[in-house]
Amino acid sequence: MMNIMQHFPVIAVMSLFLGAFLVEIFGRKNKIVRNIITMIFVAISFLCIIALIKPVILDGEVISYWLGNWEPVNGYAIGIGYEVDALNLFFAILVVLTFTLSAIYSLRYMEKDDHLGHYYTLFLMLSGGVLGLVLTGDIFNMYVMVEIMTFAAVALTAFRNYKKGALESAFKYLVIGSVGSGFTLTGICLVYMQCHTLNMAQLSSILANHLTPTTILALALIFIGFGVKSFMVPFHTPAADAYTTAPSSISMVFSGMVNKAGVYGMIRLMFVVFMMMDKTAMQILLAAFGTITMFVGVTMALAQHDFKRLLAFHSISQIGYVLAACGLGTALGVSGGLFHAMNHTLFKGLLFLCAGAVYYATGTTNLDKLGGLSKKMPKTAICFLIGAFSISGLPPFNGFVSKWMIYQAAWSKGVETNNFFYVFVTIVAVVVSVMTLASFIKVTQAVFFGQPSEKCENAKEVPLAMRIPMWIMSALCILVGIFYNFINTNLLTPATNAVFNATNYIDKMMGSGYAAAAGVSETTIEPAALSYWDPILWLILFVIILAAVCIAILTGKRTRGEVLVNKTEAVDGKYATFFGGEKSEHSHVSGSDLFWGFKKNWGGYFKFMQGMHSGDVNDYSLYTVIASAVIIIVIFIFIH
Amino acid sequence: MTVLIQILLILFHVLVFPGFLFVFVCGLLLAGIDRKILARMQKRVGPPLLQPFYDFFKLMGKETIIPDAANKAVYRIAPIAGLASLVVTMNFIPVFSFSSFSFSADIIVIIYLLTIPAVALIVGGSASGSPFAGVGISREMVTMISYELPLILILLAVAKKAGGAELCFSLSGIVAWQQSTYLGIAHWSLIPAALAMLLVIPAEVGTQPFDTAEAETEICEGPLIEYSGAPLGVFKLNTAIKMFIMTSLFTCLFLGGIDTGIVALNALILFAIDAGLTILCMTFIHAVTARLKIEHLFKFYWTIVSGLALLSLILVWIGL
Repeated sequence: MMNIMQHFPVIAVMSLFLGAFLVEIFGRKNKIVRNIITMIFVAISFLCIIALIKPVILDGEVISYWLGNWEPVNGYAIGIGYEVDALNLFFAILVVLTFTLSAIYSLRYMEKDDHLGHYYTLFLMLSGGVLGLVLTGDIFNMYVMVEIMTFAAVALTAFRNYKKGALESAFKYLVIGSVGSGFTLTGICLVYMQCHTLNMAQLSSILANHLTPTTILALALIFIGFGVKSFMVPFHTPAADAYTTAPSSISMVFSGMVNKAGVYGMIRLMFVVFMMMDKTAMQILLAAFGTITMFVGVTMALAQHDFKRLLAFHSISQIGYVLAACGLGTALGVSGGLFHAMNHTLFKGLLFLCAGAVYYATGTTNLDKLGGLSKKMPKTAICFLIGAFSISGLPPFNGFVSKWMIYQAAWSKGVETNNFFYVFVTIVAVVVSVMTLASFIKVTQAVFFGQPSEKCENAKEVPLAMRIPMWIMSALCILVGIFYNFINTNLLTPATNAVFNATNYIDKMMGSGYAAAAGVSETTIEPAALSYWDPILWLILFVIILAAVCIAILTGKRTRGEVLVNKTEAVDGKYATFFGGEKSEHSHVSGSDLFWGFKKNWGGYFKFMQGMHSGDVNDYSLYTVIASAVIIIVIFIFIH
Repeated sequence: MTVLIQILLILFHVLVFPGFLFVFVCGLLLAGIDRKILARMQKRVGPPLLQPFYDFFKLMGKETIIPDAANKAVYRIAPIAGLASLVVTMNFIPVFSFSSFSFSADIIVIIYLLTIPAVALIVGGSASGSPFAGVGISREMVTMISYELPLILILLAVAKKAGGAELCFSLSGIVAWQQSTYLGIAHWSLIPAALAMLLVIPAEVGTQPFDTAEAETEICEGPLIEYSGAPLGVFKLNTAIKMFIMTSLFTCLFLGGIDTGIVALNALILFAIDAGLTILCMTFIHAVTARLKIEHLFKFYWTIVSGLALLSLILVWIGL
């Protein structure tokens, strides 16, 4: 069994690339052939990864595969190796889940577009790139996958090139993304120069105790490279445009797995390969960037007028949570960060699908032109509310548990180290969470409630094939929030263990005893104690919900009877909305100025931020370069 | 058999004490006291003490009109979701040494549970489809952003003071700390936080001058404008219960050291303290001030109130 298993990671990646070529060759003309090819290869990849759960996570094994059977010679790894431990697999599960659901959604969502052969080719290339990135054990292979991912993403950003701004945003993504890739490549070259190997397991054992100035520079460059890929502020600028102009199925893929790939790279390289995250300076650097990212993301989201652009800034903000949590460097922090990454995939995917459904039904995502959709599209509205409550972290949805872990981790880190910085992180995280809620209230009011606007008069509920992925995501949001203990013990703890213990990872690749010889130490990670919610409380919640449902039914019954009788007779406008005696007219309170009381006080800040987001790619490159310089200098000063 | 008793005990906790019935009676009584004293301060006779009870039962019997523009399901579920979360919250707040469950959730959970009633009000108002409600929910949300920052600062300050170098994040831990030393308010470094908390309570409950969201004279109760009958009654009840829960939270954080050993007596003392706090921070302020504009409200909370709370947190952090 084991022998078959070890081929699964590489099959999962190759099937996607193979699918991409086959779609381009056979699927250009015929819609059915194209869809079948896509779905088959996506399904193969999905099943391969799901099959790995048992050996890797439940039995705690590490699966390795040498391409072309080029095994290490004299303790030096020459060939490309694929290696899957609990950390890779955790991200791989997120990736396959995202692209599978996105593929199902695309079937109907994209049906009105032309050149779908290209769409699916690029889609499969993107999926394969990201999956390869998270599964590979070779740092240069990782770079190749980053490039495949970036270029497929750029092309897909501009896929609807008739839309205003599509080409422009693709260009911005291309420029900033290339700067990031360039930094990564330079870093990898420096590492190769110093260590003469590209295998991450071997690098880990070499770099564990021997950092030279060159490898510190490489560390800084790789940090910047993956910071760009995960859209950390100030590298976030292309993300807002790209998420907005890409089709929603692709926006979902971007926020669900493309920026997760950046986060994965950050965790894998900073924690496992360079083993730098026990240094206070690195912790504060990452946590500080994470905190800035979450704050800037959410405040920019409050100022947006476009549904998808708003979601894009929230993606940036939530990645800030993940980075800040990982930057704490504690087991609880990393668990919280990984959990939040997973939850972000679920709820942000769901929200982008809802945005796609709104676009499909009305042809616009402008918040000022929408309104009253909950009567036309009740199912989408419910999915959206679930997503909105999850991202705002209301209990008992999934966002709450991970945010709770992050607050807990940040506060305990602050108390332990007596460092006020971490208290600041905690406070910002809580405030950002409230602001997230505020901006989703704005979307709810502007899009789904209120009075139907002109654009929404003829909106219809989206087809079933688009609703199924939305329902799956919604169900996962609720289930993960309720059975968080199951997720914690079965996914997060093994993954956190893999983050802090590289021994297994190294030994599997390089032969047992290799890590110990190189002096890589081992620590045991206990499962994070999550106790905010006990089984007893299930009973309470159940009782309360039961009572609430009873009351709702009782009050509802009486109303329904009377409405049916009276509705036709009510000539005095009994069921009309109250307008203070004025003539009733269309007076929807739209979203764009909903929080002016707040924005007025922060006028200077918003003006500054809007000035910074000038839309000029030269400015954005400048921020990237300045931030890179700062990161390099900080790392050089504080790490010896 | 023991399982059955356990289940009955849980039901008792949820439905009677300190759950639904307890907060129902105490909340509405506090609302009655508030109205009576306010009237006396304004040289009016005022309604009878039990008027909120009469109002509630009257509303329960009235017809519920759901406007055509409303999303019916959300409109109807919102008030009940708010009520349910308030009942859960009360189960998490210890009544001096008594807490209904052997474990206790920490302050983050309390903060999030307290946001749900406000979210219920916002979503319900939004679902009613009225433009007045649209204005109201925007103000309610800004009010929420306003008081959330000082609230987290206060809770962290108290938690740090209670824990010292150890990690103490739970309300029952804070109460136990007060019982082992002395009342939270008696630590001088916590006095600014207590003052800030007194100012957070009226905003959380939504009484004048911080009732900008509901402003009857201006936007006709904002989010509640389309509500009638039973759902309106439940929303009114939610406001009353919030009064009780917020004052109880204050008691728990700053006056938690009192303990007579008898649960019933403890509950009575809690109610007496809460009544005093209600008069101090809601009735009195209500009687002497006029409603604030929303941008002034935001500024007030993010400068003065947050400043007080932050002062406390810094004092506690440097070990005073």
